[in-house]
Amino acid sequence: MRRNVYDDDHEVFRQAVREFVRREVLPHVDDWAVDKGLPRSFWLAAGRQGLLGLEIPAGYGGSEAGDFRFNAVLMEELAAVNMALPSCVGIHADIVPPYLVHLASPEVRSEWLPRLSTGEAVAAMAMTEPGAGSDLGAVATSAVPDGDHYRINGSKTFITNGHTADLIVVAARTTPDAGPKGLTLFAVPADTPGFGRGRKLDKVGQPESDTAELFFEDVRVPKSYMIGELDRGFMHMMTWLPQERLSAAVTNLAHARQMVDETLRYATERTAFGRPVGAFQANKFLFADIVTRLDVTQAYVDQCVLAHTRGELTPVDAAKAKWWTAQVQNEVLDHCLQLHGGAGYMNEYRIARAWRDARVTRIWAGSNEIMKEIIGRDLGL
Amino acid sequence: MREFLAAELPADWRGVGALDAEAADAFAERWRVTLFEHGFLAPSWPSEYGGAGLTPLEQVVLAEEFARVGVPTGIQNDVFSIVMIGNTLLHWGTEEQKQHFLPRILSGEDRWCQGYSEPGAGSDLAGLSTRAELDGDEWIINGQKIWTSSGHLANWIFVLARTDPDAPAHSGISLLLVPMDQPGVEVRPIRNMSGDSDFNEVFFTDARCPRENVVGEVNGGWKVAMTLLGYERGEAAATLPIMFRTELDRLFALARENGAAEDPVLRDRLADAYVGVEVMRFLGMSSLARFLEGHPPGPDAAVSKLYWSEYHQKVTELALDVLDVESLVVQGRRPTNVTMFQTDDVGAPNDSASWITTAMISRSGTIYAGTSEIQKTIIGEKLLGLPK
Repeated sequence: MRRNVYDDDHEVFRQAVREFVRREVLPHVDDWAVDKGLPRSFWLAAGRQGLLGLEIPAGYGGSEAGDFRFNAVLMEELAAVNMALPSCVGIHADIVPPYLVHLASPEVRSEWLPRLSTGEAVAAMAMTEPGAGSDLGAVATSAVPDGDHYRINGSKTFITNGHTADLIVVAARTTPDAGPKGLTLFAVPADTPGFGRGRKLDKVGQPESDTAELFFEDVRVPKSYMIGELDRGFMHMMTWLPQERLSAAVTNLAHARQMVDETLRYATERTAFGRPVGAFQANKFLFADIVTRLDVTQAYVDQCVLAHTRGELTPVDAAKAKWWTAQVQNEVLDHCLQLHGGAGYMNEYRIARAWRDARVTRIWAGSNEIMKEIIGRDLGL
Repeated sequence: MREFLAAELPADWRGVGALDAEAADAFAERWRVTLFEHGFLAPSWPSEYGGAGLTPLEQVVLAEEFARVGVPTGIQNDVFSIVMIGNTLLHWGTEEQKQHFLPRILSGEDRWCQGYSEPGAGSDLAGLSTRAELDGDEWIINGQKIWTSSGHLANWIFVLARTDPDAPAHSGISLLLVPMDQPGVEVRPIRNMSGDSDFNEVFFTDARCPRENVVGEVNGGWKVAMTLLGYERGEAAATLPIMFRTELDRLFALARENGAAEDPVLRDRLADAYVGVEVMRFLGMSSLARFLEGHPPGPDAAVSKLYWSEYHQKVTELALDVLDVESLVVQGRRPTNVTMFQTDDVGAPNDSASWITTAMISRSGTIYAGTSEIQKTIIGEKLLGLPK
């Protein structure tokens, strides 16, 4: 079915992203998996190409179009390579900038937004803690007023871009025992004394992203580095989490689609018992099942993208898109791995890495269980 | 068996899983010597060839007791050395072959691996294209094998090769015994999804073996190969449910420790897993009863293979959900494969590395030793009599 979400401008942008991937990503991406992180040269190249400023106004060196569909195109094309790229770029370009653009002080905006658009500075978002994952209300990292500064103490974990980020948006507790109502966001430059990073975490998948633990020991940031209002951090996060979840949905589906295309090629070329493995009726029906699931899911996700472009996407819409695409992606990739036979279990085949990459999508950005809570609550249950 | 184990193991023995990887490997090598000295290394072999001459029921008891306390029955290659090629030689080998190879297997001088799968012949094994041609008194072998488990630790390989290119697919194949320590054999490890390199590619370029190193008849290798595949099944029916039950008990403990047991959805799935492993136990007992009555493993082995491999994917997936966010990061002791390939060692700590790695290993279970699709085809054709 022809998709009706994107017009010619988006398709021109898609071609530009593809060219960028061909030129700047594919020749190096295997090295990045070995190095367990994206090099600064990648960020600078993406910045030159104008891929990092989609949420940043032109006055700060960005190319904000006020049209989420460009973000979606970028995510789709990066997801065709692997899951780590859209994750790292998504945090930097799709998730962090809106907080700065809409909520940060002029000082923070002019200091950091131009450098985020060029890739000279890399951004990360630090919500999760060892004791606070899906339950953000349990955040224990504290920020205490100290003259015209705040003093931050605590630790964060599972932070994407954590090992290289120059600027980290941190959720910290400013009112004790107030649950989600006592959280405030701060922009923390990584060169602030007292800020430290742990090791790069050994993850199940996505070795190209430098996920890390972060430590804050009497880290002093100016009050002008508070983002948004005091004790309103959770509300601010709720405002932009739907965009993060929609981006996750777009990515999940594009990744699954790419791997199904590659598996279809494999099943056409690979023969057993004298015919292509895709020609066995069981497998043919399986493929029919898989692509139907992808197409039907695509229709919903595309409608969500359109709704978000119009500013109408609800948190419940985004929750549905996020958990459903994660589930479909995981099931579909499992079938794709099985269709590869023994090769599918070997890391030199893309499907093995894709399968490992995808496991986290049912957990991050609010686990599937949390998404169902949101949907269930909306049903009045 | 309990007396033997009590006498030979330290008083505070908690299973190989309580040792770190290096110590576990060292233990396996020492333990192999202990088994050899007591005649338990090859429990099914007749005593004249250095085995224990145990009856099938006694072999099962041995395997059960070993699984229960978490000690290996040998080293990794012994599945191929003792269970597969050793038993096959006992059944098909000439007296000279038995006299030559069996003692060298027991002493550990010869360590075997299995050269069956090829890049173009996995589930469709008869599609293999590795060739062997006679040149005077030697076979000259050319071709490539793949997914060769423990190939990097072996010095001998039993190879299925095409010896009559003009015969129909199943008729022109022979089983050859080939030394690996020669210029024509090259082993290249493959890194699999769990990060381990237990699988290998093996390349044959004018590799050689003596003319008499054929098991069974020349061009009669298919029948030999099929008997060989049957040897691993009788015992597995009894031991797999024990290993899976031990594993499940560890999962219950984890769910209690981290609070997942309070979650009603996870409780449902834990209960389901318990039912799964109980059904497997009864299935195993019924296969075992047939095996003890002297019936060779038949197509019902397909039910068993399909059942445990699909069960294990479900239960390890459940384990990752019980771990919750801990399932994202690999921490702690990784499984060693010292006792068993499918599950972690008995006594292993409840670390995320244990469950994550086991979940990845479980992913290969529906592919190796006949994919789930092949098992379903066998069930459809052989058990249900559906048209081919």
